[in-house]
Amino acid sequence: MKRKVVSLMLTATMAVGMLAACGSNDNASSAGNSSSAASTSDASVAESTGDASAAEDSSASTEEEAITTTLTVWAPSEDQSADSGQWLQTMCEQFNAAHPNWDLTFEYGVCAEGDAKSTVTQDVEGAADVYMFANDNLTALISANGIAKLGGQTAEAVKNTNSQAIVDSVSVDGSIYGVPFTTNTWFMFYDKSVFSEDDIKNLDTMLSKGKVSFPITNSWYIASFYVANGCTLFGEDGTDEAAGIDFSGEKAQQVTDYLVDLVANPNFVSDADGSGLSGLRDGSVSAMFSGSWDASSVAEALGENYGVAQLPCITINGEEKQLKSFAGSKAIGVNPNCEYPQVAVALASYLGSAEAQKAHYELRSVIPCNTELLADPDIASDVLVTAQNNTFDNTSIIQPFVKAMDNYWTPAENFGKSLVSKEVTHENAVEKTEQLNTSLNSSVVE
Amino acid sequence: MNEKEKKVRSMKTRGMIADTIVHIVLAVLAFIWVIPVAWIILLSFSTQKGSYVTSFFPKGYTLNNYIRLFTDRNILDFPQMFMNTFIIACCCCVISTFFVLSMAYCMSRMRFKMRKPYMNIAMILNLFPGFMSMIAIYYILKVFNLTDGAMIRVALILVYSGGAGINFYIAKGFFDTVPKALDEAAYLDGATRFQVFTKVTIPLSKPIIVYTVLNSFLGPWLDFIFAKVICRANAKYYTVSVGLWKMLEKEYIDSWYTCFAAGAVCISIPISILFVIMQRYYTDGLSGAVKG
Repeated sequence: MKRKVVSLMLTATMAVGMLAACGSNDNASSAGNSSSAASTSDASVAESTGDASAAEDSSASTEEEAITTTLTVWAPSEDQSADSGQWLQTMCEQFNAAHPNWDLTFEYGVCAEGDAKSTVTQDVEGAADVYMFANDNLTALISANGIAKLGGQTAEAVKNTNSQAIVDSVSVDGSIYGVPFTTNTWFMFYDKSVFSEDDIKNLDTMLSKGKVSFPITNSWYIASFYVANGCTLFGEDGTDEAAGIDFSGEKAQQVTDYLVDLVANPNFVSDADGSGLSGLRDGSVSAMFSGSWDASSVAEALGENYGVAQLPCITINGEEKQLKSFAGSKAIGVNPNCEYPQVAVALASYLGSAEAQKAHYELRSVIPCNTELLADPDIASDVLVTAQNNTFDNTSIIQPFVKAMDNYWTPAENFGKSLVSKEVTHENAVEKTEQLNTSLNSSVVE
Repeated sequence: MNEKEKKVRSMKTRGMIADTIVHIVLAVLAFIWVIPVAWIILLSFSTQKGSYVTSFFPKGYTLNNYIRLFTDRNILDFPQMFMNTFIIACCCCVISTFFVLSMAYCMSRMRFKMRKPYMNIAMILNLFPGFMSMIAIYYILKVFNLTDGAMIRVALILVYSGGAGINFYIAKGFFDTVPKALDEAAYLDGATRFQVFTKVTIPLSKPIIVYTVLNSFLGPWLDFIFAKVICRANAKYYTVSVGLWKMLEKEYIDSWYTCFAAGAVCISIPISILFVIMQRYYTDGLSGAVKG
């Protein structure tokens, strides 16, 4: 009897715990909502930012009203470190100097772009006035009411100085939410002494000449193969949530077959826990796939043989198909709860301006996305910039940021793992691909 | 005679065999248990770059990881985090030890109506993981303006020590073993309850006090989730666990991996020192009182 009571109690507490765990996210966002609703309603957010851009419009021509305030700015710690020139502090002081009527004090916080989702939505009202975010955080930020729409001059400036793909990456339903300052994607690093310019156009050619490492167990990377063969995520442009993820039928199954052969290839190395980079260092691997964050380490490892390029093609059933990576952007957003939206918006657009991007590139090699800046011969001659931008323009799709995309990551990762462990074979490829497609489209939470 | 000797001898050899087997098993277990610790220590002295480890023993040894950890304060300010955690841990240690011992003493020595129900409630509450309420705690702290600036440290001390009292079970069990007769003798001599607690019970309970102190000192070094939720973007107030987690982020892992190991080793230093200081009290305990 006693044992029964204990077990009952245990199950009850576990059930309560689970409910609470599920609810905690909701709580966070709803608490964020209600707290922000207390100060500004949805309508007034749009209004106030509208005002902000209007104020900015007028400020360009006439005098600004005198404002003394403290602005909180969140950016990654590298932007604030003395080693890399304190980009953020320098820019903010310059901004302050450029607006003589505004007496601004800045408070800096540390929040990497990718963490904006969790850090800002935890307490929207207490979050920074101006912060940086990765564009896949956008849906969460909007639903927590943590990001303001940009209008007027600021939105125009964003449209005029960026490629359409980048503008799309920070827009939802036609409204622009952030000032983009760099692109974010992955591409190929290779050893020039092993692969020629022609070799790197096709992954299969590369595999016949040297060892290639690919992070196939990472869901951010594995989708590129499926997208290459015509599979889609949320429609053609990645915004149609109802369309779901289409990894079905023969097109996906061909890719699975290709991948089964790929992992069986002795020249293929699965990149996990940094083994790719380590392989480049000791020469056991000649090409790897990663992004700009690894660029300096790779350059050091390869020395003068350092090569970097857009993604190669793969050959499926005799046809060349282009691999396509997920791409996104990083942008500067404004908190709708800030006291002086006009100041915050002006600062955001200044931090994303060509001038600031140039300083960012010079101090920290953050690859700019401003179209005028990219035409600059100094910047255009940088192989890394060229590779990243080529990748963004030619061999990538915008990483979908609809809510249902959350269901993609775990099943895709598990599929990558079962490929590497050879659980997926030619015999069960059809069945496994169907299973993958089903799990990609079903929510774990429901 | 001969037979007896034989018996003794065979008993002895049997004992020897059993002892050998036990010791071999223990040695194997100890080896398995020590490997990860040894590996982290070796890694912290390794000259390797990047996060992919190909061999158990590093190819070269260096102190640079430690030097970098404490001198490269630009991006991840480890000395600052270490100090933050140390301050928090010291405060917590005092406050929560006081809470736990007081609770345990009351539950062990006093009799009141709510005692049993209270102990049951505490038991059930203890079954819930503390971080379940982290968002609520964050908002409560925010109301009291404890989530900005230097007050973050206060907030963390409150969080780590506030709920400590509920972990009184082990200390209570220990106090129950201290003979009541000692208390009664003290009362007869005119001691108050508080005097009995401080002059009789506490001197007899050194092992459990050591245990409680160590446990409450450990908390802030190990906890990640509350530190993350409460510090948010205030990098100045990060504790070591948040810092170590940052070192393994995509952007930093390649250059900070060995420093991460060095950091992990450094964390164990204050804890070990505290343990070494307090260790001798483990054996003391009841010996003095019972004899007397």
